[in-house]
Amino acid sequence: MSKIFICCWLLLFSPDIFSQGVDEDLIKMRQRLDSVLSFQVNLQLETDISFINMPVKRALMRWEKGKTVQFTTKDFILLPKRGLDFSLRTLFEYPFVTLVRGVATQNGQIIKEMNVIPADRRADFSIATIWLNTSLRRVEAAEISTQKDGTYFLQMHYRLAKDIFPDRVAVKFEIEKIKIPLNFMGKGTQVDKEKLKVDGMKSGKIFLNMSDYLIRMIGS
Amino acid sequence: MKRLLITECFKLFRQSKTYYAIASILIIEGIILISAYFEGTNIINLLLDNLRKTFYFNGTLLNGNLLQYLVLNTLWFHLPLIIMIVVSGMLTAEYKDKTVQTVLLQPVRKWQWILSKYIVAIGFTVVMVGLLFLTSYWLCRGFFGEGDLVVYLDGLSFFPAAEAATRIQWSFLAGTISMVFFAVSSLTLAVILKDVTKTWIVSALFLIVCNVLLKIDLGTDWLNQYALFKLNDTWQYFFQYEIPFRIILLNWIVSVFYIIIIAAVGIFIFHKRDIG
Repeated sequence: MSKIFICCWLLLFSPDIFSQGVDEDLIKMRQRLDSVLSFQVNLQLETDISFINMPVKRALMRWEKGKTVQFTTKDFILLPKRGLDFSLRTLFEYPFVTLVRGVATQNGQIIKEMNVIPADRRADFSIATIWLNTSLRRVEAAEISTQKDGTYFLQMHYRLAKDIFPDRVAVKFEIEKIKIPLNFMGKGTQVDKEKLKVDGMKSGKIFLNMSDYLIRMIGS
Repeated sequence: MKRLLITECFKLFRQSKTYYAIASILIIEGIILISAYFEGTNIINLLLDNLRKTFYFNGTLLNGNLLQYLVLNTLWFHLPLIIMIVVSGMLTAEYKDKTVQTVLLQPVRKWQWILSKYIVAIGFTVVMVGLLFLTSYWLCRGFFGEGDLVVYLDGLSFFPAAEAATRIQWSFLAGTISMVFFAVSSLTLAVILKDVTKTWIVSALFLIVCNVLLKIDLGTDWLNQYALFKLNDTWQYFFQYEIPFRIILLNWIVSVFYIIIIAAVGIFIFHKRDIG
């Protein structure tokens, strides 16, 4: 009888089982990121996509709290939709819950693997996995499955232990290869785009290198 | 020889059809440019459609470089047609007006006279391509500005503005060799056929056949690379991400070889044939 009582007590009061809230370490990381008011950084983009040849591109990226990211560049550049959201704000835009999957130690740092599950239909992702460095309060890697844009994997690299933003980000994603019989001014331009997508999904990578951060934080 | 060349140049630029040809090229260029501007947006949308899911785009690709590339893509059929009409007319008109007999009654060597026509034909072709390059360069950049060029050749390639301009210049040079090939061929056809209309028809047929065969797989790499008509898309090699300079150089050498052979055949036939 006492065992049954203990089991019921555990089931009722164990927060990890019934009350899926937001992980405390994630909250700490968010608080740290929320202290950033604005930043600007020089961006260098390298693409590694089998069917795209693009030289290294450079741009100046500016972000201010409450505003959209601005880019200044002379060239035409392709900007990954997900890789530039260093603070993963899009994940935290609407209510969500977290589920810790495991904890590991890496180079003396505690890395917590957790799922972020949206609790609001407006969120544009279905699930995300985050590898959170709890010691340094920053994200080391993330895998985001979006509603419309496929799955992205972000791998962050930081120069210094104190750095809040990464100096290198590798974005891995899936992309549909299009095959175009380009015959300009001929009937070739009137083509069925769906039929053209015959080469299926290809994985691609974008490497972002950041330098010369100018970060303005609360109290600075 | 120098006098013969001056005389041929004088005759070429004295006749009104030369100016009709120049005007035609400029009108076609203008029409292509307007069409390219409207079609260019569709092409960019088509090329970048599947990238929109993954990327934001910053900057514009509908610029002077893209339009000049599209002009290049389209003009390599229209330009040789007009050049062939004018160049073949340099000889067929002489046959028609019987001036060939008048000229050759003078102390002029037959091979020198026909050679001067080939040289002037080549010069005229170079001038026409040069004019096309300058006008398209000026119009495209003047109206649409500079910017990165996107090209689809077995994948998407993006070239920075300055590099794109250089590649376009080189491709015009490659195109010039192709145009010279057609000009020389039409003059040789004029030597063989003599008649104005017959020469025009056969020249147009030759051009169409070359364009059709350009896209046909001949079975072996060697034929696909060096067959007469396969060399006319050498200009496209300058839009491969890694320019295959060795292949281009070989193509140019083979093209020049073909040009010399075709001109030599024309000169030989003309020299051996009675003027009557």
